[in-house]
Amino acid sequence: MLTVFRYTLRRYRGQIIGWGIGLGLVGVLLVSMFDSIGTQTEALNEYLSVFPEEFIAFFGDFTDFGTPEGFLGVEFFSYMPIIIGIFAVLIGSGLLVSDEENGTLDLILAYPVSRTALFAGRVLAFIVTSVAILGLAWLGLALPMSWSSLKIDPDVLALPFVSLLAQILIFGALSLLCSMLLPSRGMASMVGGVFLVASFFITGLAKINDKLEAVAKFSPLNYYQAREAFDGLNGTWVAGLLGVTLVFIVLAWWLFRQRDIRVGGEGGWRLSLPPLHRGAKIEARA
Amino acid sequence: MSAELALYAQGLTKSYGRVRALRGIDLEIRRGEVLGYLGPNGAGKTTTIRCLLDLIRPDGGTLKVFGMNPQDKSVEVRARCGYLPGELQIDPNRTARGALRYFNALRGNSVDWNYVNELSERLQLDLKTTIKNMSHGNKQKIGIVQALMHKPDLLLLDEPTLGLDPLIQREVLRLILDAKAQGTSVFFSSHIMSEVEAVADRVAIIRKGVVVEEAEPSSLINRAFRRASVRFKQAVDVDLLDEVPGVTVLSRDDGTSVLLQVEGEMENLLKALAVLPVIDLETERPSLEEIFLAYYEDEEQEA
Repeated sequence: MLTVFRYTLRRYRGQIIGWGIGLGLVGVLLVSMFDSIGTQTEALNEYLSVFPEEFIAFFGDFTDFGTPEGFLGVEFFSYMPIIIGIFAVLIGSGLLVSDEENGTLDLILAYPVSRTALFAGRVLAFIVTSVAILGLAWLGLALPMSWSSLKIDPDVLALPFVSLLAQILIFGALSLLCSMLLPSRGMASMVGGVFLVASFFITGLAKINDKLEAVAKFSPLNYYQAREAFDGLNGTWVAGLLGVTLVFIVLAWWLFRQRDIRVGGEGGWRLSLPPLHRGAKIEARA
Repeated sequence: MSAELALYAQGLTKSYGRVRALRGIDLEIRRGEVLGYLGPNGAGKTTTIRCLLDLIRPDGGTLKVFGMNPQDKSVEVRARCGYLPGELQIDPNRTARGALRYFNALRGNSVDWNYVNELSERLQLDLKTTIKNMSHGNKQKIGIVQALMHKPDLLLLDEPTLGLDPLIQREVLRLILDAKAQGTSVFFSSHIMSEVEAVADRVAIIRKGVVVEEAEPSSLINRAFRRASVRFKQAVDVDLLDEVPGVTVLSRDDGTSVLLQVEGEMENLLKALAVLPVIDLETERPSLEEIFLAYYEDEEQEA
């Protein structure tokens, strides 16, 4: 398992550097911007007070935009699940199936590596990659605080990242499960991506429409804490998300253990669609 | 099942939806034996090999590799096997050395790297080149090295010489014979008859997911029809030869020469010719390829 983990992590180093440094730079930029924003807090609050309710529902509470927590909550953490969620969906859906589709899994599984060890090594690499990306993003916010007026205790700063990690893991695990159930990686990514976007909109809209609250309970993003995490992490929510993640992972593992490793489109789904027009049918018969 | 068997399959079946890829494969490979597994594309060769490695699960039948069920003891089975897939795919961003080091790590770093270098030299494989810059033939060489490098007890080779130049093809056949000499059993799928004839102790011919023939290549050839052309010193009664069991007269001239088709052993014909004034006898054996094609011509006729 450790060999698989080590080599998978090596393969994901580009993801860690790309996503981690990218998010870290966004953090550096935001912390640097805060000093100039701090001098215009009153004017900004007046400006933000006219923002529509729908906008606030998606991007958080603007009432304490002038505070470090409020500023980062709106400018960084509010939209981060949808950004980093794309990473989770892409990596989760391709964790095993991308190798299956390009044919390399056939050879790897001819080696004395059990499917469980391969699965565990890959999942562990995904978790460590996610933690590393968020770690770099955290550094991007924490390091420039030494020369900025934006000051948050580093431990407290880590709390919304924990909430974000729970989101990455659940969307990654869901996409992994989809890749075991659906015939292609592309379809698994699509389902994972649609669920991510739908979750973002339902959670946001549920804040302004009570009728959507019941549906929003099934949305992982309903249990995401952006600005709120600075005041204390909801341990039940994090544990619940990690619990569901574990269920998805166990189901995906069970399916991976049971099924055939596909090559050349074996096991694919085909829909029997009617011909486009009558002529095509007659031509086919002839 | 005998302890001398490296591989034992009985009644192996596998379907992909409505497509029945294997319809009851019966096979045995003894230790240190090379079995040539012959069949055209889609006959079920690759499916059989993938069942052996637990990459796919058969629907029915019995399968044992060194006495172990690959589904129950997949890691133990794979530890003793070397596999070259028919369509080899390796991470293109690695060098050949990097890929082989990865494969070695998957085997618990148990490979003697001097042997890897020796194999690479014999196949003229440059280990420093990045795989994405390699030709198909060079990638195939990596596949052959990784299959052989840990000196497996059972080699599963799916079209091993595909894309290689004739010189390297010959070297690969030598490597197979070297492995056999060291006691390795080889399960060798191909549709190139000449190479199977060169290295295989036995051949199994697969057609539509069933093994239709299994024998030593020489036995298959001897069992097949052959043609004999005979010239006589003077005209003889050719009808006498028509009465010899297993002999058919295909053409006769004026009685001084005759073209015959002989089924099975030549003994009866030689006895009949012994009393005739023969001045020349030429026989023509069919190649393994002709025999193989005959099985598929039968299939086409049936269709």
